[in-house]
Amino acid sequence: QKAEGDLSSSSDKKVVLLPCKNPPSRKRVQVWLKARKQYESLQKGRRECEVL
Amino acid sequence: MTTLTRQDLNFGQVVADILCEFLEVAIHLILYVREVYPSGIFQKRKKYNVPVQMSCHPELNQYIQDTLHCIKPLIEKNDAEKVVVVIMDKEHHPVERFVFEISQPPLLSISSDTLLSHVEQLLRAFILKISVCDAVLNSNPPGCSFTVLVHTRDAATRNMEKVQVIKDFPWIVADEQEVHMQEPRLIPLKTMTSDIVKMQLYVEERAQKT
Repeated sequence: QKAEGDLSSSSDKKVVLLPCKNPPSRKRVQVWLKARKQYESLQKGRRECEVL
Repeated sequence: MTTLTRQDLNFGQVVADILCEFLEVAIHLILYVREVYPSGIFQKRKKYNVPVQMSCHPELNQYIQDTLHCIKPLIEKNDAEKVVVVIMDKEHHPVERFVFEISQPPLLSISSDTLLSHVEQLLRAFILKISVCDAVLNSNPPGCSFTVLVHTRDAATRNMEKVQVIKDFPWIVADEQEVHMQEPRLIPLKTMTSDIVKMQLYVEERAQKT
């Protein structure tokens, strides 16, 4: 009975959880942003060339 | 007037859907307002009939979605007491904690006609408070990152394990340093009481950030 009681109280214990994985770092996001801007300006340049 | 209980089919799911959608918008906005990521990755969108800033970085968006996907079963069963967005400095010490305290009534008397528009109005007020919270908070040091904590019960974690995504997105018990902050300054932002959920949002800010 005691063991059961211990088990129910331990399973009802409050816990604080967090994901094991980390979100992307600021640096990684900055690199992505820079690459996207370069790609967009390249695409824009190509479109302008096609018009000419 | 319809009376629903938590046991009614889909009720918990509806509440969890509403709250997770709100938390997704709130997390994006917190990351933008507190400058955790460069402003260039955020785009203006309209949510709850107000403009908000949402990230367009695929990896970050997926991370936020996976996090909320794991939390959803806990909210569905009313087992998520708090959801906390923690902003940490370079040394991984918390500098700010945005605490969403959630409680749901066991018995409901709701009118489905007015329910959703009323809840939307209340959630809009939270979004507006978050978008101007930088006025009452001190600047964060450079190089901050973030994590999301969920306060629940040990037994409830089994509900989480049923979610498929958890296999690739495991959760662990937080360390004391991630949960507590020394002598934080408490800034209440917003409280709401509706038929389906009670929620309060406050920020705990570290006194010395640098």
